[in-house]
Amino acid sequence: MRKFLLFLVLGLWVASCKDDDIGPTTTVNLNFKATYDGRPLVFTDSVYVYPDGHLIKFDRLNFFISDIALLEAQGSGEAGLIDIGFLNFSDNSTLPEAETPLVVSNNKVPVGQYKGIRIGIGVPASLNRSSSTTLPTGNPLRDNAGEFWSDWDSYIFLKSEGKFDADGSGQFGDGPKEGFGHHPGTDEVYRSITFTHPIVLEEGKPFDLNFVLDILKLYVKDGVALDLTKPENLDTQSPSDLELAKFLMNNLLQALALEK
Amino acid sequence: MKKAFIAAFLSMILINACKKDDNGKMEPIEDNTDLTGIPCGPSPHDLVIPAGLPSMNIPADNPLTDEGIELGRFLFYDPILSVDSTISCASCHQLKYSFTDLNTKSIGINGLQGPRSSMPLLNVGFFNLGLFWDGRSPNLEDQALHPVENPLEMAEIWDNVEVKLQNHPAYPKMFREAFCINNTSEITRDLAAKALAQFERTLISANSRFDQKIYQGNNNPFLWSDAEVDGYLIYFDDATGSEKLGHCAHCHDGKGLLSSERYENNGIEAVASLDDFPDKGLGAVTGKRSDNGKFKAPSLRNIALTAPYMHDGRFATLEEVIDHYNSGGHYADNLLLASIQPLHLTETDKANLLAFLQTFTDTSYYSNPAFQNPFQ
Repeated sequence: MRKFLLFLVLGLWVASCKDDDIGPTTTVNLNFKATYDGRPLVFTDSVYVYPDGHLIKFDRLNFFISDIALLEAQGSGEAGLIDIGFLNFSDNSTLPEAETPLVVSNNKVPVGQYKGIRIGIGVPASLNRSSSTTLPTGNPLRDNAGEFWSDWDSYIFLKSEGKFDADGSGQFGDGPKEGFGHHPGTDEVYRSITFTHPIVLEEGKPFDLNFVLDILKLYVKDGVALDLTKPENLDTQSPSDLELAKFLMNNLLQALALEK
Repeated sequence: MKKAFIAAFLSMILINACKKDDNGKMEPIEDNTDLTGIPCGPSPHDLVIPAGLPSMNIPADNPLTDEGIELGRFLFYDPILSVDSTISCASCHQLKYSFTDLNTKSIGINGLQGPRSSMPLLNVGFFNLGLFWDGRSPNLEDQALHPVENPLEMAEIWDNVEVKLQNHPAYPKMFREAFCINNTSEITRDLAAKALAQFERTLISANSRFDQKIYQGNNNPFLWSDAEVDGYLIYFDDATGSEKLGHCAHCHDGKGLLSSERYENNGIEAVASLDDFPDKGLGAVTGKRSDNGKFKAPSLRNIALTAPYMHDGRFATLEEVIDHYNSGGHYADNLLLASIQPLHLTETDKANLLAFLQTFTDTSYYSNPAFQNPFQ
């Protein structure tokens, strides 16, 4: 079961490439960990302190990554790595699990020099409304069809869910509104980020890029944390919640860091 | 129909003819009949996926064929799989109840009650994240193996089922036609499970009024009542500026499945700690404390037909289900508090939500002969 879940967690769709015209290749591994203010993010049991002093814990964190490419050092060429992938950290209920990265790989990346990597967060418009009836086995959009939100005709790009001790009692679930579920989606909140970093790929030598998503930074902008004591900040499902959805997706770009 | 009667009659004769040893295991009959004289060449089955539903993951080693599906239908309805020929798959998965039964917990051999309610099978072929309430089975081929040897369900052993099928007057020919086996000894539990899986993948329903409006583009203004429209907004948390948030779709949406396919603690059990769930559900499978008390979020397709509700059938009606969610349920550290929290829905809101749930009902499959009992 564990193995089965891991397979689903790491579901990805590797960018297609033609073996016979790309020359020597190697493997690129993208390793993703999640933290809260620098600490490994452990779900269900671990309790963290929000900037306003209230306690917070997390039940779920997952998001789609897409259109990932290495940017060639010279010119504007790029090497596609991943068309679409799904990262689900929610199974990390122990510290060892949280310290083990989710790995997304492409084992046929052309060797050469690159100046950085681009990562899309969410499902690009070209895929968001593609007919799921034709998606092949193993496609993350097919295997995570449960992430689709029919009311938007869109996938939910990011899910961050948890509990917030809004009444400051030191306990969860005893206040009127202490659960939060942030689910940005739709084309308007698709985001892309480029990390500048010299990458030299040599034939037969796997190359690792290590990323950390600090979930606290999802909620903090310019040093000010989203006020989770306000009920209107606890979910993003209604059309009127678009601004909050944009806030979270913009913050996600600063929350995701490439370790150098 | 004649073929079906003969198969059923011969199944009964066979049950009485097979001798068992002291351990209840049948003596193998030395009759390795050559089947190569029977033509075989299974016809690929073109599965039509209705609008709104995702593609179906079909294993490369078990492609759908007309003959395999038909064999699976016979096995599904045939009590030959049970120890005393009284229980078939269809005993707990009845067509008119969206392939569930009316029991709080399913009844197996000798009237024994199992621990959980039977799950609906319509559209089960689209599910990828595990089967059963606790997700212990990764696919339909594996799932089909379990009930036969469950002492509270069919209480048979597969060795015996294989003997019964190998020596059955009708099934060897059907296995030959479905899988091109050369002799009766090649009839195995794995092939039986493959046939059952093939049949189950054809159990598709997608013509509810919800499908018609959301996926089929039916803009008839009278298709849904005002109450159903209001219920939709509550279900999808889509009432702008309103407090009427049902949080239902967080677990019951997803590309036409009306299920997230995830496993959740939905707050139905009052426990002092995560160690105290009477049925640990997913936790018993994964061994993870944080998974205790989590069960699959089932599809709500045809939900009005599948009472009683929850994994243990504790709620007799949808009204009770809605009242539970409106209450916010019982807190636990792994409760999905983002969705399971007091909803403050009024009586009207609840009535409208209930009305909307009726739009998930599709009984058009009732008349599909390919789903029906071949022995009747």
